[in-house]
Amino acid sequence: MKRAVPILLLTVAGLVPLWRFEPQPETASAPGATAGAPAPTTTGQVGAGGVATQSVDGALVRTRHGDVRVEVVFEGDRIASVTMLEQPDSAPTRKAVPLLVRETLTAQSADVDTVSGATTTSEAYVESLQAAIDAKG
Amino acid sequence: MRRVEQVMGLPVSVDLRGGDADGVRSVAVDRAFAWLREVDARFSPFRPDSEVCRLDRGELDPADVSADLAHVLDLCAHYERATGGAFSARVPGRPLDPCAVVKGWAVQRAADLLAGAGATSFAVNAGGDVATAGGPWRVGLRHPLDPTAFSAVLTVTDRAVATSARYERGDHILDARTGRPVTDLLSLTVVAPDLTTADATATAAFAMGAAGVEWAAARPGCEVHAVDAAHRVHRTPGLPIAA
Repeated sequence: MKRAVPILLLTVAGLVPLWRFEPQPETASAPGATAGAPAPTTTGQVGAGGVATQSVDGALVRTRHGDVRVEVVFEGDRIASVTMLEQPDSAPTRKAVPLLVRETLTAQSADVDTVSGATTTSEAYVESLQAAIDAKG
Repeated sequence: MRRVEQVMGLPVSVDLRGGDADGVRSVAVDRAFAWLREVDARFSPFRPDSEVCRLDRGELDPADVSADLAHVLDLCAHYERATGGAFSARVPGRPLDPCAVVKGWAVQRAADLLAGAGATSFAVNAGGDVATAGGPWRVGLRHPLDPTAFSAVLTVTDRAVATSARYERGDHILDARTGRPVTDLLSLTVVAPDLTTADATATAAFAMGAAGVEWAAARPGCEVHAVDAAHRVHRTPGLPIAA
């Protein structure tokens, strides 16, 4: 049985507001960059879990460095993912995207029982969230 | 009740919920840790007197290996075939190293010991690879770029979660076909019915590079969350993302 992996995303869920409303020198945002945005297009479907998923193509954002467009996938009211449809190939963008991803890959809840992710040295363990959970007992 | 010990070179934590008296559970946890220490002594490629090292040096006839090691080597061979050779316990020029399979298998056996002792709700976390019984357990996936953040939170019951990644030990996972480190993924997490499957599948898929994401997704019972080098997240629709 071959299953496709239908969601292939650059997880920049926070990218949309950051890029559009919070220009910062180290990002690709440029003042006044949001002009001329067409209406978003959406396509909907119902996911396997019965939760409605909806894909929304973000507005085209013209920046000094190039065009930016994202696709946001919602599951119900929750942003499940964001894909970069277009992004400028510029040094600031290459620098900014990891920062943005760092923000937006962060899960919406940090209340967990345990953590998956290679903690293979005691030094790393001491610095890990798992150590905090274990210390809490 | 929670206990953490350093074993197999890893911090291993056991978290037991509810149920029996602490005394009874403490004995079961003792047994689980004793098993993991035994595995380390028998299968570590870093202990010259281990069965793995003796086999590798030719001091042990392949026909005389223990049933456990034979099982582990069979698992390695299985995943080597399934990945077209990307995953291998025998990378040319390197000592025999079945660690990728041993860890998940051994920790799943430790979990089975706890279940056999009557524990019905627990999580065993060995260096970030997690076997659970009962639940639901909320399992955070460590963010590949930030050890203080999560990239996702899953809700699992009676399932295992294993992550292979570059962030901790650097480029330590080799593509056995080339002998070179795999660099096109940052992290790859597999959810499976047991940790033997989850851990081996995660490591084998990581060794395949980008192609490993779809490969793992196609494995029976497996769900996948992966972050590639371009910071794109790939995931299967059945991934049990927490609400």
